[in-house]
Amino acid sequence: MKPPPFEYHAPDTVEEALGLLEGDDTQVLAGGQSLVQLLKFRRIRPAALVDINSVAGLDAIEPADGGLRIGALVRQQRLLEDDLVAREQPLLREAARHVGYPETRRRGTVGGSLAFGAPWAELTAAAVALDATIELRSSSGAREMRAREFFLGPNETALAQGELVVAVRFRARAARSGAACHEVSARHRDYARVVAAAVVDLDEDGSCLEATVTLLCVAERPYVVDCTDAVRDGTDVGELLDGITPPDDIEASAAYRRRVAPVLAGRALRDAAAQAGGEEVA
Amino acid sequence: MSAQRTVRITINGSVHEAEVEPRRTLADFIREEAGLKGTHLACEHGFCGNCNVAFDGDTVRSCLMFAVQADGHAVETVEALCEPGGELSALQQAFTDHAAVQCGFCTPAMLLTAREFLRDHPGETDERAIREGISSVVCRCTGYQQIVDAIRSLAVRA
Repeated sequence: MKPPPFEYHAPDTVEEALGLLEGDDTQVLAGGQSLVQLLKFRRIRPAALVDINSVAGLDAIEPADGGLRIGALVRQQRLLEDDLVAREQPLLREAARHVGYPETRRRGTVGGSLAFGAPWAELTAAAVALDATIELRSSSGAREMRAREFFLGPNETALAQGELVVAVRFRARAARSGAACHEVSARHRDYARVVAAAVVDLDEDGSCLEATVTLLCVAERPYVVDCTDAVRDGTDVGELLDGITPPDDIEASAAYRRRVAPVLAGRALRDAAAQAGGEEVA
Repeated sequence: MSAQRTVRITINGSVHEAEVEPRRTLADFIREEAGLKGTHLACEHGFCGNCNVAFDGDTVRSCLMFAVQADGHAVETVEALCEPGGELSALQQAFTDHAAVQCGFCTPAMLLTAREFLRDHPGETDERAIREGISSVVCRCTGYQQIVDAIRSLAVRA
């Protein structure tokens, strides 16, 4: 189908964009890789779109407080190509590998992915796994929110009407840290049925300081599991996942997700631990 | 209906100007306003990749962009691929030689996507890498093998 009619605005500044977003029934148009689909399915019929592609200052990848700050308009493909990302937060690169195709990643943005909160969105898994902070602005001010509190359910976030995701911040990694992202999908590059992102931090002696796995599509919200003891003791993570309540939907049955979740969690943890230990991971 | 806007897009080196609604997609602008029917539409929701065009040099889905967003930008479609005299380019010739065309519907997008793959991965002959490179374009006839062979023949030659 063709999209329904809408008013179109293309502001140059964040302030101008925030002013326009005050209007009732407006939506942000960033990369458009999810929004235009929804328009064409006529699932949404906003009165106006605020295209932020020309807004200055939202597309930087920069060091911040020892960590990394990524502007909302940074294209997903840049996560695969940027040296700073590869060095500071390789999990973003691993996660972005699974996001769509080069053609969609060149338009699709980091902020757009977070704002949509799609239940299978790998960047959601990375942001939650790394305990990132999401920077939000509206015409009435700025606020920050932990990614772990931002995602409320499938396609549901704490983003308020009139609010814009402007950036996402990641803390500095531990000196010896590893991360990995695994998923299964029905077809190559299709929506993931389950996603697992693991982060493992080791101390100087190589023993585990902290290990977590973040799973998508196994509960209402991204599901974070503390696996520190399991990594220390080399035990199976399966029983740590007893509390998951996977959905039963067109992508996969709940039973399937229950089977797959511990497998993916185990693989992600294994690769993250190996990387933290200094091994090359294929 | 929302207000019409004047949109000016350079397509294959020529400027095309038209009054369009903001909801007009880039794909429809290329086909209807510019009259270039080589850009094909199948799913129109970003899944199939048949509408791929080069936008400021990089391949994107033209069905997921609005023409107003391409105002002042440069687009290349399959019509830009042949040589100035109308002869087939090396890529098009390779598709012909390897029978990488069956019904032909996906061919324009396959060519543009293959061209970009060869640009970004010079000399890459690994079949898995080539398959990953064209994985965003759906072909329902060839089973992809002939397309992979055609692209690989150029990588080997490079």
